[in-house]
Amino acid sequence: MSTEVMIQAEGLTKEYGDYRALDDVSFEVNKGEVVGFLGPNGAGKSTTMRILTCYLAATRGTAKVAGIDVFDDPLEVRRKIGYLPQRAPLYQDMSVWEYLKFAADMRGLDDATFRVRMKKIVEICGLAQSLGKDIGTLSHGYRQRVGLGQALVHDPPILILDEPTSDLDPNEKAEVVKYIKQIGKDRTILLSTHNLGEVEQACARAIIVSKGRVVADGGLDDIRAKSGGARYIVVVDEKNALSGKAPTEAEVEAALKAVPRVQSLRDIPTDDRAHAFELVGGREDDLRAELYKLCVEKGWIALELRREAKALEDVFRDLTRGDELVSRGLAAEDADEDEDDEEDEESKD
Amino acid sequence: MPPTLTIAKRELGSYFNSPIAYVVICLTQLLLGVLFFFVRNFWQVDKASLASLFELAPFGLCLLVIPVITMRLIAEEKSSGTLEMLITLPVRDWEVVLGKYLGALGLVAILLVSTLVYPLMMFVFPWKLGPIDFGPVWSGYLGLTLMSAAAVAVGLLVSAFTKSQVIAFFVTLVVNFFFVFMHWIGDHVAGPKLGLVLSYVGFQQHIANFARGLIDSRSVVYFASITVVSLMVAFRALESRKWR
Ligand SMILES: Nc1ncnc2c1ncn2[C@@H]1O[C@H](COP(=O)(O)OP(=O)(O)OP(=O)(O)O)[C@@H](O)[C@H]1O
Ligand SMILES: [Mg+2]
Repeated sequence: MSTEVMIQAEGLTKEYGDYRALDDVSFEVNKGEVVGFLGPNGAGKSTTMRILTCYLAATRGTAKVAGIDVFDDPLEVRRKIGYLPQRAPLYQDMSVWEYLKFAADMRGLDDATFRVRMKKIVEICGLAQSLGKDIGTLSHGYRQRVGLGQALVHDPPILILDEPTSDLDPNEKAEVVKYIKQIGKDRTILLSTHNLGEVEQACARAIIVSKGRVVADGGLDDIRAKSGGARYIVVVDEKNALSGKAPTEAEVEAALKAVPRVQSLRDIPTDDRAHAFELVGGREDDLRAELYKLCVEKGWIALELRREAKALEDVFRDLTRGDELVSRGLAAEDADEDEDDEEDEESKD
Repeated sequence: MPPTLTIAKRELGSYFNSPIAYVVICLTQLLLGVLFFFVRNFWQVDKASLASLFELAPFGLCLLVIPVITMRLIAEEKSSGTLEMLITLPVRDWEVVLGKYLGALGLVAILLVSTLVYPLMMFVFPWKLGPIDFGPVWSGYLGLTLMSAAAVAVGLLVSAFTKSQVIAFFVTLVVNFFFVFMHWIGDHVAGPKLGLVLSYVGFQQHIANFARGLIDSRSVVYFASITVVSLMVAFRALESRKWR
C-alpha cells in the first residue's frame, strides 16, 4: 500500500478571539487509512475539520489535503473531499432527492453519473423510502443519512466525517461502519466520533485531542500500550460482612487506595447492595492477589473481583482526564490555572 | 451549470418551496386589483400612463417585499448551520454571494413581470382603453428593476452580517426607508443645496426619471454602484467568518 500523505496538518493553531481552541496540532493521514479522531467535547475536533475543509482559516500553521495547501487552493481541496459537518445541517425545504441532486450539481456531476452513484448511496445510507420526502420532516437519524449521502455523492478520495453516526440507530450504525471500513482500503478517512467501539471496529489508528492539543496519535495497540495500566473491578457487599460490621463506602475506598501500586480509583454505579470500584494498576503487575487478601483481612464479602483488558475507553479517559476534571469544576493537578481556564471558556460561550 | 447558477436556482426554488413566493406575488396582485377596481384614477386611463404605479411601487418593493425576500438569504444559513455545508462544497465565496443574490433578484423579477398583467389587460387586450406609449412603461420597469437590484443587494449585505432574520428584516427596512424617503427629507428638512444632494442619493428622483421615459446614464450608474458595492461588502462579510 502506498504511503502517500493525504491529509497533513502542521502546527495548526486556531484562536477565537483570545480563546485558543487549537494549539499546535500536527498529524498526518496516509492514503488507505481510516483514522479515528477522538477527544472530549470542546477538544477542537470540529474546528480542525473546518480548517481542513477550508471553512475556517487557521490562525497559525498549515494544512495540506491531497498535497494541496488549504490556503492556496480551497476549491481543489474541496473537490477532493466529502465532508459531513457535525449534526448534518441540511436545507429543510428540499426533498432528499433534490438535495442530493443539488450537491451533485455543485460538484459538476453529470446526470448519468449521479444516477449511478445514487444507487450506491441509497443502498449504503438506507434512503430508498425517503427520497421524495422533505428533509424538514425527516427524523434526525435520517437527516444524518442524507448528510452522509451528500458526502459520498462524488465518490471522493478523502472523507472527513464529523460524528457521522451520532444519531443513527444500531443497525444503520453497523452498516455505515462496515461501509467506511470497506471503502477505507483505498481512500482516506478522518472520522470523529465519541463511540470508541466504532473506532475499534473501523479504524486501525486514532488521534486523540484534548484541549486543542494532540495527546495521542498512533495505532490502536500502540495507544493502548502507551497509556499503561490494567483495570480492576472490585465489588464489595454493602449489607453483610464475614466478620464485624459491613463496610461503608468511604472505608472501602480508603482501603483500596492504600493498596500499593494502585494508580487511580473511581466508584462505579451499582444497585444499593454493594460498593463497586474500578481501579487502575500498573500494566505489568497483577493486583488481584492483593485485593483478595485485603478483602479477607477486612472480613468483606467480595462479590466480584476481576481484571479487565485495557479498553480504548480507559486510554481515552486517562489521556483526557485533565479536561474532564476541569469541566466538572473539580481540581486537577494544576488546579488554579485550570480553573481560570474554565472561567474563560464559560464567558466565551 | 456553473455553481453560481445552481445556487441561484436552488435559492429561487426555495422561495417556491415555502409560502414566501406565493404570499408576496398574491398579495401584490391583490393590492393592484384593489387599486384597479376601487381607486378611479389610479391607472389614469385618460393619460394612458402608469405614472401612479411607478410612484407607488418603490415603497411597496423597498419597504416590504424586498426586506421579506432578502432577510433569510444568509442569516438563515448561518443560524441553521447550512452555510458550512454550502461553503465546503467546491464553490468560491463570491459565487455563493452572487448565486444567492441572483436567486432573490429572480423572485423580484417574477413579481415585476406579474404586475404587467393589469396594464396589458387594460391597454392591449382585452380592453384597449386607450392608446398607450410603451416607451415610458418599459423604461419605468427598467428603473424598477435597477432599483430592485440595488435594494436586494443591500438586503443581502445586511443578511450577511447577522444570524437573525428579524434583525436582517428591520435593518434592511430602515436602510431602504432612507433611500426611499431621502428625497422627501431633502425637500422638507434640509436646505436647498443639501436637498439637491439628498434627492440624488435617494431612489425616488431616479425612478421618476425612468417613469418619464428618461434613461439617464447617471441613474443607471447610481443603482449599479449601490449593487456592486453592497455585493462586495457582503462577500467580505461572508469571508470574514474564516478569521473570527
Ligand atoms: N465560533 C466560535 N467562536 C468561539 N469559540 C468557538 C467557536 N467554535 C468553537 N469554539 C470553541 O472551540 C473549542 C473547540 O470546539 P470544537 O467544536 O472544535 O470542539 P469538538 O472537539 O468538535 O467538540 P464536540 O465533541 O462537542 O463536537 C470549544 O471550546 C468551543 O467552545
Ligand atoms: Mg465537534
